[in-house]
Amino acid sequence: MRPATLAKRFYDLVAPDIPNEWDVEEVLDPFADESEAICEAALGHVPVIWPVSHSLCYDFLRLLPKALRTLSIEQVPRWIGITLDLYETKGLRAAQRFMQDDLKEYLAKLDGSGGLPLSIAGKQLLPYIRGIARDDLRIAVSRQCFTDTKTIFVPDEISFSENIDENFLFYKLILTFQWGFIVCNSFLSSPNKTRDLVDFFQGFASPHLASSIYQNLESIRVRVFLNQELPGLMRAAEKHIFSKLRDRFHKISPLSALQFAIIVNKEDMAALLSEILNSNDRNAFITGQASPHDSMRITEALCQDIKQEQDTELLVKTFSFQGVFKLSTVVTAGKIKEQQMGEELSDLMATHLLSLSKKELAKLMQEDQDKKSGNILAESDISMIVDSEFAGTAKEEPDAPLLVTINNQEIDLPPELEAFSKTFLKEFGHLPAKFISSAAGKAGKLMLEQDITGSTKTEQTPEGNAGIFYDEWDYRRQGYRKNWCTLHCKSLTPVYSSFIRNTLDKYHGLTIRLRHQFEMMRSQEHFVKRQREGDDIDFDALVESISDTKAGLPGSDRLFIRLQRDERDIAVLFLVDMSNSTTGWINRALKESLVLMAEAMEVLGDRYGIYGFSGMRRSRCEFFHVKHLEESYGDKVKERLTSITPSEYTRMGPAIRHATNILQDVDAKARLIITLTDGKPEDYDDYKGQYAIEDTRHALLEAKTADIHPFCITIDQEAKEYMKHMYGPANYIFIDDVRKLPVRMPEIYRALTC
Amino acid sequence: MKQQNQRLEEHLITKKPYYLATGSEIEIALAAHKNGLPLLLKGPTGCGKTRFMQFLAWKLKLPLITVSCHDDLSTSDLVGRYLIRSGEAVWTDGPLTLAVRHGAICYLDEIVEARKDTTVVIHPLADDRRELPVEKRGELLSAPPDFMISVSYNPGYQSVLKDLKPSTRQRFVALSFDYPEAKMETAIVLREGHVTQEVAESLVKLAEMTRSLKESGLAEGASTRLLIQTGQLLSSGIDIHTACRAALIEPLSDDPELLGALQEMVSSVF
Ligand SMILES: Nc1ncnc2c1ncn2[C@@H]1O[C@H](COP(=O)(O)OP(=O)(O)OP(=O)(O)O)[C@@H](O)[C@H]1O
Ligand SMILES: [Mg+2]
Repeated sequence: MRPATLAKRFYDLVAPDIPNEWDVEEVLDPFADESEAICEAALGHVPVIWPVSHSLCYDFLRLLPKALRTLSIEQVPRWIGITLDLYETKGLRAAQRFMQDDLKEYLAKLDGSGGLPLSIAGKQLLPYIRGIARDDLRIAVSRQCFTDTKTIFVPDEISFSENIDENFLFYKLILTFQWGFIVCNSFLSSPNKTRDLVDFFQGFASPHLASSIYQNLESIRVRVFLNQELPGLMRAAEKHIFSKLRDRFHKISPLSALQFAIIVNKEDMAALLSEILNSNDRNAFITGQASPHDSMRITEALCQDIKQEQDTELLVKTFSFQGVFKLSTVVTAGKIKEQQMGEELSDLMATHLLSLSKKELAKLMQEDQDKKSGNILAESDISMIVDSEFAGTAKEEPDAPLLVTINNQEIDLPPELEAFSKTFLKEFGHLPAKFISSAAGKAGKLMLEQDITGSTKTEQTPEGNAGIFYDEWDYRRQGYRKNWCTLHCKSLTPVYSSFIRNTLDKYHGLTIRLRHQFEMMRSQEHFVKRQREGDDIDFDALVESISDTKAGLPGSDRLFIRLQRDERDIAVLFLVDMSNSTTGWINRALKESLVLMAEAMEVLGDRYGIYGFSGMRRSRCEFFHVKHLEESYGDKVKERLTSITPSEYTRMGPAIRHATNILQDVDAKARLIITLTDGKPEDYDDYKGQYAIEDTRHALLEAKTADIHPFCITIDQEAKEYMKHMYGPANYIFIDDVRKLPVRMPEIYRALTC
Repeated sequence: MKQQNQRLEEHLITKKPYYLATGSEIEIALAAHKNGLPLLLKGPTGCGKTRFMQFLAWKLKLPLITVSCHDDLSTSDLVGRYLIRSGEAVWTDGPLTLAVRHGAICYLDEIVEARKDTTVVIHPLADDRRELPVEKRGELLSAPPDFMISVSYNPGYQSVLKDLKPSTRQRFVALSFDYPEAKMETAIVLREGHVTQEVAESLVKLAEMTRSLKESGLAEGASTRLLIQTGQLLSSGIDIHTACRAALIEPLSDDPELLGALQEMVSSVF
């Protein structure tokens, strides 16, 4: 390609940016001697890299000719993909370094002659382990591998072997073993028990030794379990990993047999264990009957036999795929979960208490009030006794009734609450009184509040200039707080920038494809039968009509088929979360998706509006206009779209109610509200947790009642339990990688309305 | 008439269909039938709805007339039309009329796909009137006690334009179907897929794994039907990995990363 042509194409690609001529010349000149294909490859990637970083783009062009001596053109996109990942996670330096220095290493990886990085393997490993575990576990990077039971930490690269597949297998093995510890209960069943385990190790002269022995015993249990559960994996591991580890293995003490037993077949395992365990214990282990308590008991016995002067570090080791036990992280993760579930429990309980009649509730709280001579209820005033007898036995007898007593009065739990309490009990071994007494406290407070607001009902929200009032759902009292929120409508200030153009360039291919797809949807033609006039004879109708006439009935005159274009007649509002948690990539992806959506909608012809929402506190919910339903997609709209920026909090309820309000007066065959958010509804005041979830849920139900279909697209690291409850099972979709949003959103819209 | 009786005979199920109850669905359905109430079966694809209807029909000793709904299905297709036979106009009952006339069970599969105007005939049949207007013949058929109408739909992700209207929905006794719990599903796969207990267990385990990937981008996991089909390939001598790939994994997704992960699950389990 001629240098002038190259330069011209380059300027077009980066327009309206005007890059420095010197820079451009310097990087593009070397391409004059290169083949057409290489020039195209180079230019083809400019729109991807340029918007991310200009200097990275120059670096890319500068390094590409040299890189292509080792890389094939097909390998370039992946190379760039990793560079951009690095840029986003570790910054420009890291990305540049990777491009310059790490090419050899990267190639080595591609050839399989080096380690396998998690950045490549992770995309498959995450769904793999989630499937295996039937649980939404996470994967994170750490030098040593371990798990806190919610996240599995693995090294960022595996170089166990020269072979890429074996390295991948090694990752699988690590992840699966860590999951094995979780399901085999190696950390014991509750945070408190885990803490006991910590104390148990601390009680030994060498806690490290005790812990290593315990971990090896547990690994044997996990191995036996996995032989049963995932025989395919164990067979592959035997062939590619265990056999190699056996070759390299050095026995350092009699106890090494425990470690060695993990990587041998069944018969050898039995033989090895016989060297250390008595025959009962050995049989329990090899048949999968042993429990963590057996491991603890044996650990204790083995440690007793060890003489003080021995160097305990040298007695028994572990393999890297076993990782390490970091019990404190398990305790922390368990505590967090306990706290979350506990709050949920106390909320549920408070709701239940409030549903009791006032008399019953008053009775439950009476005594204490008497004691305090009329004082307002405080949490500590209510004594809450969970019947300890039943709490203790619930484990063995899951059907045993659960008794909760407040002030010596038993209260019946509704089935939902009882089920939840039992799950809690099973997981944590106890029902802490604090959660239940806090429930009673909440209920008491709310009851008082209800009384107060009941008498001063005319509480006016501050005079807003043209603010609109909306009710808010308070699940604790199962009723609305009247005119609780004030919503202000504003218009975003148009900002001129090249954002829209860059987006269209970046997704050039996708935009073309989308236009085509949406065009197909628009011209969704189909034949309508039995018409009075039309392009063709409806043969079925004709036969029927003749038959009718023969039967003495008047034959129908609707005998034609007509090709009809389907009236789509759909109106949709896109609601964009503008809370400050959407900074950076999320905001960018949200806007990019809106740009692509708008392009597609223009082709399709569905009526659509775009609004943003944010705000702080119930007195200032803000609703930002980008595009009204009937407004055309002109420059001003584009500029307002560009100016969507993260602002304050996410109070979803009022925004959805307002959107419902707008759509309610619109006449269309189908009306939709599509909300785009990055997670939980949350405001600065007490609009959080279950309250916020329940209010949002209610706002969505109100929309449904008004015959409007709400659908939510949530971008988050992981799917949350509450989503299904809040949105309803089929009314939301969750996207874990924000970069997929621009591609997914039009797909979703298509599926929703085809 | 004779001809019609013959047509009806074909719908009678004489051999007991294999169906494993997963809850109290059989009792509920029998009670619904006894009281002349219509049934709505909802649940994901391939979880046993059709099989359940076959079993119910067998149990009640009634013919089962199944109509698979599609977007071109009109009222005439359900009610019937005049046809010409050797120069004579002959009325032919549609499946719904046939079922009403003879007190059979009419099962409308994937009801949401049917054209909206079919509700005109479904509504009066599905409430306490239990009658079917046959406009062309000026007839108003009253359904005999044995007649039952039952419809199915899959409430997964679908177009908002195809949702079931509340006025339709609220006429039915609804049974919610889901994949059977592991032990039962194993028994079903074992029997229908002709595989060993061990293989059936592993297939069910795999299915559970795929079903837990909802949040990772797989809207619907492997159905019981897919497991059975995998089993059938296996018992015809296809090797386990190939059978899983063809009958279990590939039908689920086109996403290369997900497919890769699913493949890894298979190779771990088998
Ligand atoms: N409870 C069950 N008892 C016996 N067989 C079952 C049961 N559940 C599922 N099956 C088996 O699963 C297969 C698929 O079930 P079926 O065809 O009834 O699915 P469906 O729910 O009607 O699916 P679709 O919505 O796709 O039509 C059946 O052929 C049957 O072998
Ligand atoms: Mg079916």
